[in-house]
Amino acid sequence: MLVTVKILRYNPEKDAQPSYQTFQVEAEETDRVLDLLEKIKGEQDGSLSFRRSCGHGICGSDAMRINGMNRLACKTLVRDVGDQITVEPLLGLPKIKDLIVDMKPFFDHYRRVMPYFISDLPVPEDGRERLQSPEERLRFDDTTKCILCACCTTSCPSFWANDQYYGPAAIVNAHRFIFDSRDTATAERLQILAEEMGVWRCRTAFNCTEACPREIQITKAIAEVKQAILSGKV
Amino acid sequence: MSSLKTAFSGYVRYKGRAGHWAFLLHRITGLGTLLFLTIHIVDTSFVYFAPQLYEHAIALYRNPLFMAGEILLVFSLIYHGVNGLRITIFDLWKPEWWEIHDERKSVLLTLIVAIVLWLPAAAIMGYKLLEYGFGFFGG
Repeated sequence: MLVTVKILRYNPEKDAQPSYQTFQVEAEETDRVLDLLEKIKGEQDGSLSFRRSCGHGICGSDAMRINGMNRLACKTLVRDVGDQITVEPLLGLPKIKDLIVDMKPFFDHYRRVMPYFISDLPVPEDGRERLQSPEERLRFDDTTKCILCACCTTSCPSFWANDQYYGPAAIVNAHRFIFDSRDTATAERLQILAEEMGVWRCRTAFNCTEACPREIQITKAIAEVKQAILSGKV
Repeated sequence: MSSLKTAFSGYVRYKGRAGHWAFLLHRITGLGTLLFLTIHIVDTSFVYFAPQLYEHAIALYRNPLFMAGEILLVFSLIYHGVNGLRITIFDLWKPEWWEIHDERKSVLLTLIVAIVLWLPAAAIMGYKLLEYGFGFFGG
């Protein structure tokens, strides 16, 4: 089938404003949008720029707006989006070139919530792992799945309006440690997320949950953090 | 790109699902109600500061266009209230309902409840509009 791919192009050295360019590509309906971009770059216009790495929905490099919604190009099949495909960069992050955006603000927010294991308890006597029951592990299972692709944060109306908001991805990664029974920095993280730019900026528009390619229940995780801040309990 | 431009571009062009529309409707009804309240406080203050202007303001309220706007105002108030309750209940007591399936259903249910609550008032106000505004029903 012949697929029309309309891409929002931007070259900072030449263009004052981004503009659309349309390509026609021969494709199978089981091709991924990433395959189409590769074809365009390889056969029609080598200057087309986009990020990709694993191509299997794990690295989170190729998040972009496909037909108006944030998705991973490597997890989106032509048959799911039709033969008229519009591809645009993520909204709310500075554009670098074509589909590449500057992820620095996103990762700055991520770092803010201390997304790493913190424990002031001594190492177990046998010197090995800190044990946890299956139920305790299950408590934060959902939020361990994040691949930091930024689909959620850049689909959030609160983030569009104010890029100082930490955003869904940072809160998801805080949730992963806040509800981990082995971690002891819960109070610090809750304090960070109770700040003006923390969880209370969430207006529950739900775009994050709908956009997450890992199907993390993001709005639910944010609500759990809100409750933990209010009750002081996890 | 300014944040305001980004936000508006997203509001209009991002293809969100039910939650996105509920968010937009919540914002529009909220801002609409705020606008009305502001106007209403100003015109009521005319009673004290400029009585002749107050009469003029009341006459404006009897304009059919304004009466139709009031029917929408009632919907705005009811929708904003019902949707606000939904969000409050989900956020404060039932975070487990923030799952895709439940959330989509709750958006629809909220809209239905708001419309059902609005219809009686809309019917009465619509009747009055037709009666006084357009001379129906012997008005």
